[in-house]
Amino acid sequence: MADMIQSPIQAADAAASSPKMTARGVSVFYGEKKAVDDVSIDIHREHVTAFIGPSGCGKSTFLRTLNRMNDTIGSARVEGRIELDSEDIYASSMDVVQLRARVGMVFQKPNPFPKSIFENVAYGPRIHGLAAGKAELDVIVERSLRRAGLWDEVKDRLAESGTALSGGQQQRLCIARAIAVDPEVILMDEPASALDPIATARIEELIHELRGNYAIVIVTHNMQQAARVSQRTAFFHLGVLVEYGETSAIFTNPRETRTKDYITGRYG
Amino acid sequence: MTDMAASIDPSPTDWNGEAMRRRIRRRYAAERRFKLLGLAAILVSAGFLAFLLVTMFSNGISGFARSEVRLDVDFPRSSLFLDPAALEGFGADQALAGADFPEALNEAAQAQYGDSGRSLFSEGAWIGLRDAVRDDPSLLGRRATLWLPASTAIDIAAKGEGEAEAERLKARLAEAGRVRTGINWTFLRGSDSTDPSAVGIWGAFKGSLLTMIVTLLIAFPIGVLSAVYLEEYAPRNRWTDMIEVSINNLAAVPSIIFGLLGLAIFLNVMHLPRSAPLVGGLTLALMTMPVIVIAGRNAIKSVPPSIRDAALGIGASRIQVVFHHVLPLALPGILTGTIIGMARALGETAPLLMIGMRAFVAAPPGGFADPASVLPVQIFLWSDEVSRGFVEKTSAAIIVLLVFLLAMNGLAIYLRNKFERRW
Amino acid sequence: MSLGAITLLILGLGVVAWLAARARAAAFAAPDRPRPHSLPGQHGWYVALWTAVPALIFLAIWRQVSGNLIYASVMASPEAAALPAFDMQRQAILSEAYALATGRAETAFNPQAGILAPVYESAIGFYNWIGLAVALLVAFAGGAWAYSRVSPQFRARTRVERIIMMGLLVASLIAILTTLGIVLSLLFESLRFFSMVSPVEFLFGLNWSPQMAIRADQAGSSGAFGAIPLFWGTIFIGAIIAMIVAIPLGLMSAIYLTQYASSRLRAWMKPLLEILAGVPTVVYGYFAALTVAPAVRDLGLSIGIPASTESALAAGLVMGIMIIPFVSSMADDSIAAVPQAMRDGSLAMGATTSETIRKVLVPAALPGVVGGVLLAVSRAIGETMIVVMAAGLAANLTANPFDSVTTVTTQIVQLLTGDQEFDSPKTLAAFALGLVLFMVTLALNIVALRVVKKYREAYD
Ligand SMILES: Nc1ncnc2c1ncn2[C@@H]1O[C@H](COP(=O)(O)OP(=O)(O)OP(=O)(O)O)[C@@H](O)[C@H]1O
Ligand SMILES: [Mg+2]
Repeated sequence: MADMIQSPIQAADAAASSPKMTARGVSVFYGEKKAVDDVSIDIHREHVTAFIGPSGCGKSTFLRTLNRMNDTIGSARVEGRIELDSEDIYASSMDVVQLRARVGMVFQKPNPFPKSIFENVAYGPRIHGLAAGKAELDVIVERSLRRAGLWDEVKDRLAESGTALSGGQQQRLCIARAIAVDPEVILMDEPASALDPIATARIEELIHELRGNYAIVIVTHNMQQAARVSQRTAFFHLGVLVEYGETSAIFTNPRETRTKDYITGRYG
Repeated sequence: MTDMAASIDPSPTDWNGEAMRRRIRRRYAAERRFKLLGLAAILVSAGFLAFLLVTMFSNGISGFARSEVRLDVDFPRSSLFLDPAALEGFGADQALAGADFPEALNEAAQAQYGDSGRSLFSEGAWIGLRDAVRDDPSLLGRRATLWLPASTAIDIAAKGEGEAEAERLKARLAEAGRVRTGINWTFLRGSDSTDPSAVGIWGAFKGSLLTMIVTLLIAFPIGVLSAVYLEEYAPRNRWTDMIEVSINNLAAVPSIIFGLLGLAIFLNVMHLPRSAPLVGGLTLALMTMPVIVIAGRNAIKSVPPSIRDAALGIGASRIQVVFHHVLPLALPGILTGTIIGMARALGETAPLLMIGMRAFVAAPPGGFADPASVLPVQIFLWSDEVSRGFVEKTSAAIIVLLVFLLAMNGLAIYLRNKFERRW
Repeated sequence: MSLGAITLLILGLGVVAWLAARARAAAFAAPDRPRPHSLPGQHGWYVALWTAVPALIFLAIWRQVSGNLIYASVMASPEAAALPAFDMQRQAILSEAYALATGRAETAFNPQAGILAPVYESAIGFYNWIGLAVALLVAFAGGAWAYSRVSPQFRARTRVERIIMMGLLVASLIAILTTLGIVLSLLFESLRFFSMVSPVEFLFGLNWSPQMAIRADQAGSSGAFGAIPLFWGTIFIGAIIAMIVAIPLGLMSAIYLTQYASSRLRAWMKPLLEILAGVPTVVYGYFAALTVAPAVRDLGLSIGIPASTESALAAGLVMGIMIIPFVSSMADDSIAAVPQAMRDGSLAMGATTSETIRKVLVPAALPGVVGGVLLAVSRAIGETMIVVMAAGLAANLTANPFDSVTTVTTQIVQLLTGDQEFDSPKTLAAFALGLVLFMVTLALNIVALRVVKKYREAYD
């Protein structure tokens, strides 16, 4: 794991290509209340981007604007522009259903459907029609579970309920479910906060492996975790994006005192 | 593991391909269909309610009106040998009771409308004659014009759906200006009768009132006290569990079973009077009590523990905590539940049939032990009548019942909204 | 003096006791003395309760006992010897005499009643005097004893609270008593029924015609009491036709209201559905008989199916409508209990709302919905007025919804209407039917509550 921290490896050349997602001047309101204030940020492909910041600073809120999950909250309103591959995702021509298939999401608390493990993973491919038949679906389910590192543990009990798994397994199942629709970006909101250290380590390993294929955004309260898994880090405070840059730079040499105070545990 | 995953990596999905677009269109169409289906379900349910109310209303509204036929009575020449002086003071009622008003009506009707004249008027029309004389004894000395309730056939014809002969008769009367429409006071003041033009709902209404009083007096205290006990004091043990199970099941037992209970226990074992509001009220009280208990427990449960702690902290006893603090705060919730339970009891029919409340009762009950009818049972009895005139009376009685139930439910909803408290 | 007047008198004594005890206790309080344990009012309550409650309990028992004693003494009198032996007539005369004696009637219809009335009157008077004397004795004894205990140290509040606690316990025992009363009365009468008609015939017989029960000259021969056609009719109307109407409409209404409707529409529709639930069943019944049944018959005839005025379909349709609000509110609760995370999980994968509802929410809420449907079925099969007014009396074993069938509840009402003796199998059969109905609805409720509870726990 030690070498992971010092691997800003291909970060430089990936950043050179055009970003996967860009946000410009994004503000989010809950009714009258402003929860996110004028945030601009680029999300790069084949990168893990970490969002850190004190509780209530708007990380989850901003994350949910990236696949328009905020649409499901009646009072929420988004201003500004967010693009996926240079396409405005809040444009009327953009289809939310497709958007969410391309920008998947993993939640803080594992939320498997009360269905079998197989059905949980097959759900996305089914609704999006990604498999031509049962055989192809089997392949997708197996592939997703393998990539989520869960296959060996559940291959003999695919018909069992997804809710019968342990917390860590459930979270990996949710990740498998998200990658089964072959998304381009995966958003993770504190995916390991409900898990013990061993399960957390597995999830981190998984994120590390998945990075090769997806752009990953992860919200975390755990500084070590952010340092371990991410290449870029964004620090939020009171709804404002305070600082954004290479993880190594943020953690070793933050420009802002607020960032420094937070990272060194002075508040938050 | 990484190798494995990479080796089975697929080509990326083409989200903008023609096939995918078609699929999305289909999925959105399904979404719209589903939503429409939901809307249709709501509309059908609401539409049914509207249809039911409109049917009852349009059938029943005419029940509050009645047709009256003009009758000219020449009192000095009638067979009523009544002295106007006898109608002043004490002997008045006796004098009235002794006079033969039906015969006087007969004569006057025949004089004015020929041999079949009497059949134009309702069977009870002579009461109108009597009341007119009582109200104004001076009538006895002159010729007077009265408007008396028409017979059922004429009444139906006047309301537009009579038989051919009655229609013709009515048309002739109308031409001569001898029918008119008035408010049917008999319906509001009278009791059951075999003649639809003479029936009224006051008797049944009073029966309902007496029955509800008994129900409330028994179900409310018992229900509230049980709720207090179960929520505040009951130890967790087998007995308490049994009480809980009993209450939950009683709340779901079919109402007719309560009728059987009333028949077996109140009538056959305790020999209480049949058909009486007392027994009806007792039976309905057993049915309503679980509703009150359940509502009461929920209301008590929603009073936050901090209030109890505060009262206990200044040295109140457990009884004082409940009766001084918890109950007053829970009262709106308890009342809401009680009103809803009472509304249900007011509309209940089946258990009352079991305890004999389906008898023909032609006078309003004088007390809790007298034979009585109640509104829903009266509706049931009238609905069984073959005579056409009963259709509008049944619907009119339904309107009265619904008005009361709506008012009660509205009051409950109002209370709930007004006192709903967020702790 | 009537029992009612005696009761009032005792209550009056209670008030007097309250005032007296309070006045005595009030005298304890003085600034220089230690504070008494209880407030004067609490002493008042203690003495008042001891004065009134035992005496009232005695009166309640006496009411029952004296009734029998009065009857016995009247029957023993020489005037009663002339009474006819035949039971019905004799009871009629006795009750008329009783009415005369208590002033509820003014003139005797039957001269014998007139003769018996004074006998009744003196017996009632005699036993009421005894009741009055004993009640007063009990009240004074209880009151005096309690009064003598009033002192500054006496813990009146604790005692009164203990009595209140007993009152609370007794109140909550009424529920058990009611349940017990139902079970025992149904069981007792049913056992009498089964001593005349074999349970096997009752539960499995295909022929139901209680109208031909026992003829006077043919003791032992009875009508047919095979209840299968009734059970079938009940299931056909309540569990099949009504549910075909209520489940889709109720479920879809709940889904639309919780997932799609604007909050304004929801604010209007929910009370509207509650109104639908508050309409009395006799109104539904009248509507079924007056409007729906003729329409259904015409429909049946027009498509060439034998149809009768009173049809299973008409009753079932209207019953289904009646059940809609019930199903929809249960479904509403179950869907609302599915965690938001589940819904988010599905939406975040790009599922449409309807896909989320059909594939995630409804399956997740299914146990709750099933529980609700079971409760709805139990309510439908116990429903009486709609079927009495619209389903008919013919015990047909038919699957033709346009035909008339009869149900358990209809037959209970039918069997208990009119004047029969209380121990003919015809009357008792109603209790046997009631027992079956009670057991089935009880089982359905218990299963349903279990299912719903398990389901709620799963998401807590
Ligand atoms: N549904 C909502 N309605 C109204 N306000 C909300 C809603 N969700 C969040 N907020 C508010 O928006 C602000 C940002 O919340 P958000 O959940 O984005 O914080 P966060 O950074 O994710 O915090 P945490 O680290 O605790 O998860 C908070 O002040 C919160 O109270
Ligand atoms: Mg958050």
